[in-house]
Amino acid sequence: MKQTLAKNVFLNINPIKKFRTIKIQVDFLRPLKKDETTGRRLLANVLSNSTQNYPSFQAINDREMDLYGSEINVYTRNLLNFNDLAFSVEFADPSFLIGSQTQIKDNLDLLGEIIFKPNLKGSNFDETAFSTEKRNLMSNLMSIQDNQDLVSALGLIKLIYKNDPDRQVPIFGDIDQLEHITGEQLLDIYQDVIANDAVIINVVGNVDQDKFLEDIKQSIFGQALKGDRNDLQITFSNFDDLVKQPASETEHKHLNQSRIGLAYETSLSKGVNRLAPQIMNLILGGDDQSQLFLQVREKNSLAYSVSSSYQPLSHLVTIQAGLDANSIDKALHLINEQIAYIKEGKVTDEQIRHAQKVMLTQRKISSDTIQHYIMRGIWETVYPKTLLNDEQFEQELNDLDRAHIAGVAENMHAIAQYQLIGD
Amino acid sequence: MTQRLKNHVTKLPNGFQISVVPLTGFNQVYGVAMANFGSVDTLQNNKQLPAGIAHFIEHKLFAKPGYDISEKFAKFGANSNAYTSYTKTAYLFQTLEKPYENLKVLLDLIQNPHFTANNVASERGIIDQEIQMYLDMPEFVLEQKILAQLYPNDPIAEDIAGSSESLQQINHKNLLETYQNNYRPDNMDLVIVGDVDFEKIENIVQNSNFQKNGAPVQKALNQFEKIGAGGQEFMDITQARSAYGIRIDSDLSGYELVRHQFMMNMVMETLIGESSPNYQEMSDLKIIDDSFSYNVVAENNYCFIIISGSTNNSEQFQEYLHDHLSYESLVKVLSDEKFERIKRDAIGAYLFAQNSPEAIANQMAELNFYDVDYLQLVEMINSIQKDDLLEVSKKFLKDDNSTYYNLLPNRK
Repeated sequence: MKQTLAKNVFLNINPIKKFRTIKIQVDFLRPLKKDETTGRRLLANVLSNSTQNYPSFQAINDREMDLYGSEINVYTRNLLNFNDLAFSVEFADPSFLIGSQTQIKDNLDLLGEIIFKPNLKGSNFDETAFSTEKRNLMSNLMSIQDNQDLVSALGLIKLIYKNDPDRQVPIFGDIDQLEHITGEQLLDIYQDVIANDAVIINVVGNVDQDKFLEDIKQSIFGQALKGDRNDLQITFSNFDDLVKQPASETEHKHLNQSRIGLAYETSLSKGVNRLAPQIMNLILGGDDQSQLFLQVREKNSLAYSVSSSYQPLSHLVTIQAGLDANSIDKALHLINEQIAYIKEGKVTDEQIRHAQKVMLTQRKISSDTIQHYIMRGIWETVYPKTLLNDEQFEQELNDLDRAHIAGVAENMHAIAQYQLIGD
Repeated sequence: MTQRLKNHVTKLPNGFQISVVPLTGFNQVYGVAMANFGSVDTLQNNKQLPAGIAHFIEHKLFAKPGYDISEKFAKFGANSNAYTSYTKTAYLFQTLEKPYENLKVLLDLIQNPHFTANNVASERGIIDQEIQMYLDMPEFVLEQKILAQLYPNDPIAEDIAGSSESLQQINHKNLLETYQNNYRPDNMDLVIVGDVDFEKIENIVQNSNFQKNGAPVQKALNQFEKIGAGGQEFMDITQARSAYGIRIDSDLSGYELVRHQFMMNMVMETLIGESSPNYQEMSDLKIIDDSFSYNVVAENNYCFIIISGSTNNSEQFQEYLHDHLSYESLVKVLSDEKFERIKRDAIGAYLFAQNSPEAIANQMAELNFYDVDYLQLVEMINSIQKDDLLEVSKKFLKDDNSTYYNLLPNRK
């Protein structure tokens, strides 16, 4: 069932019965803005700390346990060019429990409480909730420096988006910005979110659609989401300048292992098979049968972890590896050799067949998770043209040939290289 | 209509146990073969084995004459993987198609080693990189350090992958001997979750002719030294991290050990879980942040709890836990209402896990070694009473079985 509750307020209900849990997710979306990124992440944490009727972290956790271990999650993430402030509750399907007739409504009310009934004292957030979550976020941001894979990934992202200031601030925030956020500012951000962000509600699991629709209209959601909201304008980053002049940076740290991160833009011309870049990526470094895994790890024992990934919306291929500092030049040489191998059309029929099989398997296995249906509901609402139905997917997969794959590699342009050297 | 899980179980004459769990509506079939053999099992038949040998076998068992067995899984449309824990080693596949062919590949994987001097040498470099990677992770380093305090000079305090030095002592000969001693049908089990025919699975396994190699291995129970006094060190990190450890020396095994683990988890949830007054107070006192967590482990003769997290005040972190983890504290907070909540939470967690064929298969495979039927866990949870928690806490929340370790940032 799909309903539009107001302008840019969407409700999708998927009453699938295969899971033991039910999940309700509410996404608040607006364009990424560097000055709002840290505030929205802090807001996510403060709202999940406590509410008007559950005024402490302990009270909210007690409520989750009462409802058979419901899991509340509030976070921000990048979704296209939007900042997505997502609230979700996942809970045990009452048909597996004894005497829990109000389980669905109770969880809907709990989620509504978290979104719409913040823990305010007068005209400000409760001081304990605000200061605790500000301190927690500060601690988390400092800890990032101790996670070298993340440091390396962020170093590469910073280079990739050097010309896009709104993407320069990581989605989980920035220490300098966090230091200066006040309770008043956070409340302004909150009121703006609740009044203006586009909203998508997805419900997946064993629910009676009509009953749920009635429940949500009668709940606080029905009251709070009556007004019209801002449109979402999709835009894409442009990497032309980086293609002409790739960005690079090398940092040194006292570490046991070094990390490298490489990024490539793949320009996809119209009419080209839409799955070709993903197949190319699988053959390059997507799994344990890939060129990078077999040549860099297995044959030359240079790295424990080496892989590539493809981001379909930005058309970027990235490669990451953890290795000894002395092996970096050799590894870079081997990586270039693997790209050349694909470019020169040396990919075997068996490699293509394997990659096709993996693509199909990944698609079907992902539908064994509840999150797959939540994400599908979001894409169907925000950007339906990116989705292929099963028939289109299999058709495009079967139409693929070696030339398509070589064509993707041919059009791969290095745009950024980050090295974190352990010494 | 929603259906409760069922399983088919059989034990073959050679001791190999097979469990199959049909899972309606799921596309995948997930299979795991598990050996009751892990990183701590380094004293066997009166011989001391190098640290990391169980993990090395896990890596190298994929090598077959002229090919890597992951290629065969890939040919039959499956992802394959493996992992080693302190007491178990597991090999797994996940597939949409040809589950029976993939099962045959899994059986070939665990039954036919091909260790050579060359392939062992090349694997050392890869595993050494894996070890280096973990050494850059403070959470991992802290776990090793607190284990070294809880179990001084014990194999559990070693990295599961071993060390650069111990890797040098591993060769194709000791790999094969260790493999033969531990990868016996009566020391392994198999779980398949998904839409498969149980009889067909049973026939395939029977026809694979899984042989016992000689007599069962003599595994000595590791003798534990006195718990360490605690310690700390400086590291190139930004945030300090602290760990508080509790060791429970117990003779429990099988069903009782698993039940004990559930009870200890419930006690810890009551005392320092996110819904406890202590958690709130530690947060208010700025001793912890939201990385604070605890982990209760009960495997074979190892039974311990590690509580850890980032902190701005390591000393207060340790003091607070030392003062508040007690029977007396539990009595104060464990009301009937709280106990009911904790039980509900445990039942919910069990249902959440059933969304995942992977979680079902791995938990079931592991619990089989403790004679616990995964599908009876709710009954086990329901059998636990509030007084059981009070009783059990008296035994493990004592003054003389805890220790600590702090990792502090280097002063720049």
